[in-house]
Amino acid sequence: MPASATTYERIVYKNPSEHHYMKVCLEFQDPGVGLNAAQFKQLLISALKDLFGEVDAALPLDILTYEEKTLSAILRICSSGLVKLWSSLTLLGSYKGKKCAFRVIQVSPFLLALSGNSRELVL
Amino acid sequence: LLFCLRRYLLCEVVSDDPRCRLSLEDRVLSGLVRDTIARVHGTFGAASTSIGFAVRYLNAYTGIVLLRCRKEFYQLVCSALPFITYLENKGHRYPCFLNTLHVGGTIRTCQKFLIHYNRRQLLMLLQNCTDEGEREAIQKSVTRSCLLEERSDEEELSDSGGEEPSEAVE
Repeated sequence: MPASATTYERIVYKNPSEHHYMKVCLEFQDPGVGLNAAQFKQLLISALKDLFGEVDAALPLDILTYEEKTLSAILRICSSGLVKLWSSLTLLGSYKGKKCAFRVIQVSPFLLALSGNSRELVL
Repeated sequence: LLFCLRRYLLCEVVSDDPRCRLSLEDRVLSGLVRDTIARVHGTFGAASTSIGFAVRYLNAYTGIVLLRCRKEFYQLVCSALPFITYLENKGHRYPCFLNTLHVGGTIRTCQKFLIHYNRRQLLMLLQNCTDEGEREAIQKSVTRSCLLEERSDEEELSDSGGEEPSEAVE
């Protein structure tokens, strides 16, 4: 028996998320340096401005959470700017004369993925 | 030389101040464009565009400038040109802006475009000029350029490259 003709629609998502989320941590060579959220954002924007200029310093970058004690934050950036942000964080060397480095802990296009990390899973 | 692909940007320096064009020098302009690219596109932009960058042609009377850059990074240069707001020479600052007229792959295509553009500009000048002496001078230039156009159309198959008609000095 011939099957009745069915109409179907196939939807393909190539890359559904327009934002990427990064969990980063700032480490100083000498401990005891504190930054508040505004200074942290200023540091990120100046890193982008150094490497990629004023055009890319204006990328829509958001700090979703920030902890002053551990200097760790969750950032959100549009997907086209992820490579630029990551490379400018890699090349950032100092803040107000003090040596520092950004450690990128996790990157994901989904915010939910940053809540758990299979490396830190305790079985 | 297929591995050395370049883009040539034909620009016009437009300014209210007539002294601005006279103080155009290729080193001044080259430094200005490089500084602007460094400000707008950062270290990455400055380094990637500085390799093949040069000012190839400069005409102080008409303010026409021909810039050369690499094909892979010509968009960085092109997008930084609107951020140029002044020309600085010997301590004097003249406000101006750069109009991009044409982007070409070779100097010859830019030259052909420039000849066409100059002919159209001459006709526009003829419409707008007020002084009788100026009008005669421009009419002479227009007729000369028409004769040169006929001659260069006949010689198009050979590699003459055309000639630029003389400019009416403002």
